[in-house]
Amino acid sequence: MTLTEIPSDAELVERFPYASIDHDNKALYRGWLEKSLRMNRCDDCQRFHHPPKPVCPSCWCSSLVPSEVSGRGTIHLAMFLHQGPPAPGVDYAKAPHPVVTVELEEQEGLRFTSTVAGCAPEEVRIGALVELDWVDRLGAPFPVFRLVEKS
Amino acid sequence: MARNPIADQVAIVGIGSTGFSRDSGGRSAKALACEASIRAIRDAGLGPGDIDGLVGAAEPGGPQPQEMSAALGLPQVSHFSSPTPVAVFALVDAMNAIYSGSCDTVLLYFAYTRLPWNSRSAAQDPFRRRHTLGVMPAPESVNAAAAYAAWASRYIHEYDVPREAFGRVALNARAGAANNPLAAMKAPLSMEGYLGARMIREPLCLLDMDVPVDGADAFVLTRTDRARAMTKSPIVIHAATVGLVGTNDEDQLPSLARHGQHVVVESLRAKSDLWLEDMDVFFPYDGFSIITLGWFENFGWCGPGGAGRFLEEHWDEASGRVMIDGRIPVNPHGGSLSEGATRGSGHIREAVMQLRGDADARQVPGARNALIGCGGFFFNSQGAILRRL
Ligand SMILES: [Zn+2]
Repeated sequence: MTLTEIPSDAELVERFPYASIDHDNKALYRGWLEKSLRMNRCDDCQRFHHPPKPVCPSCWCSSLVPSEVSGRGTIHLAMFLHQGPPAPGVDYAKAPHPVVTVELEEQEGLRFTSTVAGCAPEEVRIGALVELDWVDRLGAPFPVFRLVEKS
Repeated sequence: MARNPIADQVAIVGIGSTGFSRDSGGRSAKALACEASIRAIRDAGLGPGDIDGLVGAAEPGGPQPQEMSAALGLPQVSHFSSPTPVAVFALVDAMNAIYSGSCDTVLLYFAYTRLPWNSRSAAQDPFRRRHTLGVMPAPESVNAAAAYAAWASRYIHEYDVPREAFGRVALNARAGAANNPLAAMKAPLSMEGYLGARMIREPLCLLDMDVPVDGADAFVLTRTDRARAMTKSPIVIHAATVGLVGTNDEDQLPSLARHGQHVVVESLRAKSDLWLEDMDVFFPYDGFSIITLGWFENFGWCGPGGAGRFLEEHWDEASGRVMIDGRIPVNPHGGSLSEGATRGSGHIREAVMQLRGDADARQVPGARNALIGCGGFFFNSQGAILRRL
């Protein structure tokens, strides 16, 4: 067990003012600060789950290890916000803001939701392959996806 | 024979509504709830001393049961609760409380008030502005309302569904609202109008989303044996249920083929002696149009991905609305898309009005049975079958 977690819980909340952080998901956001996407993995049955829960929904084991995932996957859901909550770098008037749920290659049904950066909205399609990247949001790393170039 | 000991044991003997509008003009949610409640209690021919149960949906900004008890001067109640929205949670709680003997007669109320984050004009009201969200979430979320746009994208992808399929849900609702004095949105709507509406969360546009309104509905429920002394043909709850699957986080839902609506349909089917062929009017929830398409498919009116074609095949050109088999109207009051965002209480109220024969221009001749599919896919799927004895 970590005795002193860096940063403190209070500092963590300040770094991510848009997130609802609690004791079940704090490791996810601590990972973001190191540009690492970590999802809870069960120490017993080895299954991932997300969002973070206090026990493994597959076997009820409470020994859960925040484990880095590749962030590679396939777009499963894709919507485009024409209006929405304000966020730095998001200008709804300029272009609709894509929000995608990506099914990660680590495990069937394991998904993570963010945006797709660096492309036009019409390029964002269900079934497209993506990989993880990090951008700055309010001074802290924020995970986004980028389309994988078709070779 | 279905196993459902509570079948037909609880009756809806009173209804009251304020009607719905985009702006109630400086009235509180409590004021609206009181008006609807007094109407419902009087409609039942009862007074405050007859109410011994109080169930109020925990709508944001709505009054708590104890506040309503104080406002209405109810002498005493032996059951009160505030179930989470949407409407059938509260209906089921009231039904169970009566059948179990916790109380005999429940006042059930639903009060809606536009909140600062879903209405520009409501954001100008300093009192409403005090309901704050806490954390302003990032846009990159498919939680809550956004989930329906996200999964609509998947639905379109899997079944190659044109926008007109969603449009028919909106047009059907608007055609119904035109005949409903309680409705907020009555202006005629064409398919061109639908297709030209502003995108909000693409692929869903403004007209795929329910209309935030001010207003309230209330109901009085009691034991069916008591109801029989009040009226010769009481309206009863034949079956009611809620449904939930384990993996219900919005973005982790395994698929559109297995979610809360499927559990509701299986549970209702097992509890009910009546099914689709027995129905006279159908109330699929329409907080978002995609939910309505889901109810059509998951109740089995048509197969997966087939709701758009089904609506087209059962479209009544003359009235500009759906008539299943030329006989069964769908949300004839206008639903949440056009009557207003009642989160299902409007669907229940209209079902009662239809079964009573009190629906005026919208009346289905001789309606006896009504099917309600309430709520969406994730954590508020519910259903009920109401009938006239
Ligand atoms: Zn496990």
